[in-house]
Amino acid sequence: MTDERMRQLERMSRAAFDESVESLDAATRSRLARARAAALEELQHRRMAWSSTWLPAGAAAAAALVAVMLWQGEEGGPPATEPALAALEDLDIVAGGEDLAMFDEDEEFYAWAADEMSDGVG
Amino acid sequence: MQEEPLTCSATLCAALPLGGRRDLARETTVDQARALDRFLAGIERRALRIARIALRDHAEAQDAVQDAMIRLVRSYGRHPEDQWRPLFYRILRNRITDHQRRQKVRSAVMAWWPGRDAEEEAQDPVESAADPDGGPDHVLEGEQLLERIEEVLAGLSGRQREAFLLRNFEGLDVAQTAVAMGCSEGSVKTHYFRALQALQQVLGELK
Repeated sequence: MTDERMRQLERMSRAAFDESVESLDAATRSRLARARAAALEELQHRRMAWSSTWLPAGAAAAAALVAVMLWQGEEGGPPATEPALAALEDLDIVAGGEDLAMFDEDEEFYAWAADEMSDGVG
Repeated sequence: MQEEPLTCSATLCAALPLGGRRDLARETTVDQARALDRFLAGIERRALRIARIALRDHAEAQDAVQDAMIRLVRSYGRHPEDQWRPLFYRILRNRITDHQRRQKVRSAVMAWWPGRDAEEEAQDPVESAADPDGGPDHVLEGEQLLERIEEVLAGLSGRQREAFLLRNFEGLDVAQTAVAMGCSEGSVKTHYFRALQALQQVLGELK
């Protein structure tokens, strides 16, 4: 079979095929459009499935991470430095909702504490 | 000019506040849906005709195309757009092959089934009737030509038929056809040439 004859056969058969594609009836085209819409709904389903699968898993992982950090802090972790401890205590006070005004009112206590500290140092 | 698809790179997403990231993710999904819609709309009619020729059953061909669409979106929707066409036809081909295997098993079982109707055995009178238009040497056009091509394709091996449908009717290049058929490019060329030869023999001299 010569190349030219082959090309001719290819052209003719493709033209016949293209013609048949163009002449698909309206019902078939409509069915295809509905099939396409159904396929694209998969995108939405996949997104929702991702959320429902990974969001609870992510929350659980975050909780586990916090638990491990706290546990390591108590048991095997390196000793916390003093500024770090002080910062944590400050945080406890703020988070604990204590009445901060009481520290202002007890002036005598602060004066006494200052004396005690200076005596200790000197 | 074709609109560039919006992508959410890790750097870009990290640079955005949470609300912006959510918006970008939503836009990415919308863009992806649009791109897939465009792709499927452009391919669906040809895919249906190809499936119809391979399966010789219109309803089954519609189901096969719908399944292939769903599978493409579900499994390969995030792949680059230029990979969608060969992947789609790979999925469709697998779906068609599965159906053909099931049909073969069913036929084998039915052959052993007792009490088959004699009418089922009888040859289709239209199929066996002489062609008043003069046979293969007659110059065919349009629908008639396609019907004759379909008959020839039905008699080819599955691989030869696939190579012809994908290369000639769908216009995939050799590399894309190889991906769709799951074989080497050399194999595609061989199968395609054999299919052309068979068509030439049956269709006779083309004018």
